Amino acid sequence: MYGWIWRHLPGPVAVRAITAVLLVAGVVALLMFVVFPWAEPKLPFNQVTTQ
Amino acid sequence: MSTVDHSDPPVSDTRVGPAGGGNRRDPVRTAVRAIGELLITAGLVVLLFVVYEVYVTDITSAAKQRDATAALDQEWQQSTPEEQQQRQEHYDGPEGSGIAKMYVPAFGADYSFTILRGTTEKTLEVGPGHYTESGDPGLPGNFAVAGHRVGKGAPFNDIDLLNSCDAIVVETRFSWFVYRVLPKADEVADWASRAADPRCTGVGPLGAPYDRVVGQEIVSPTQGSVILPVPNRDDVTDNAGATASLMTLTTCHPRFSDRERLVVHAVMVKQWAKNPDKPGETPPELKETS
Repeated sequence: MYGWIWRHLPGPVAVRAITAVLLVAGVVALLMFVVFPWAEPKLPFNQVTTQ
Repeated sequence: MSTVDHSDPPVSDTRVGPAGGGNRRDPVRTAVRAIGELLITAGLVVLLFVVYEVYVTDITSAAKQRDATAALDQEWQQSTPEEQQQRQEHYDGPEGSGIAKMYVPAFGADYSFTILRGTTEKTLEVGPGHYTESGDPGLPGNFAVAGHRVGKGAPFNDIDLLNSCDAIVVETRFSWFVYRVLPKADEVADWASRAADPRCTGVGPLGAPYDRVVGQEIVSPTQGSVILPVPNRDDVTDNAGATASLMTLTTCHPRFSDRERLVVHAVMVKQWAKNPDKPGETPPELKETS
């Protein structure tokens, strides 16, 4: 999977490396700001009130 | 990404034949590698979630808590002359608005949180939330507050470390209320030995109907009776009908789990009206930081 992505990135190695870092940063940002805030209330970690 | 090395000639491939294209096109190998990469990725995502939960939410919540505190300060400063005259507290703002500040000197002089109205997920991201159906600060009944233990500023991270007689100071627009943690279950029997401690003045087993109220308890999440006017007694439903002024803190337990709830009960032992002429005055209990 990662090999496939690497081989399909355009440009010389340096450009590919920068693109790869940007891709990783994008995925991390997506997780941090969209996926985790959405998933967190659904997980059994942090309910602090009694019913 | 070091596993991605397809340029080497197949060294150990003995199956080169009419059907073989070398390692590169071996579907089994490709599939196994893909599964492995997915599993590693999943592990990294879980680790990242821990970072998010424990650190990142702290950062965003700290900013929200700052805003809430600033808004509350401003609201207090903008009291109308009539309000100043009557010194009437009101906590009827919208869900998520600040109603009071809490201090726990035992956690250090910088431990201060603005308590907000309501206990929705969104409110608790900002700071400790007041169960709206529970009592108001300083009044008879039970002033119950929920707070996060992990992430989101973790206001109640350490409330398991609160000892009996530790002060929880609540500041409202016109007053300071000093609550102190009640004797814990194993201290009730021998409480006389602690009564000499000046910090324990006014603290002690409360007697009936409070005989089921101790300083700290761990309950199931469904045990909503801990925030009743008389905790764990459902025959008193009106806060005004209670004889003591209690404060109850709830958070999740054990840490990183919501299997149970950690509950701390405290009783009000003192209150001060703020002196309008000395706006910066604070009660001496705030200095009990040792």
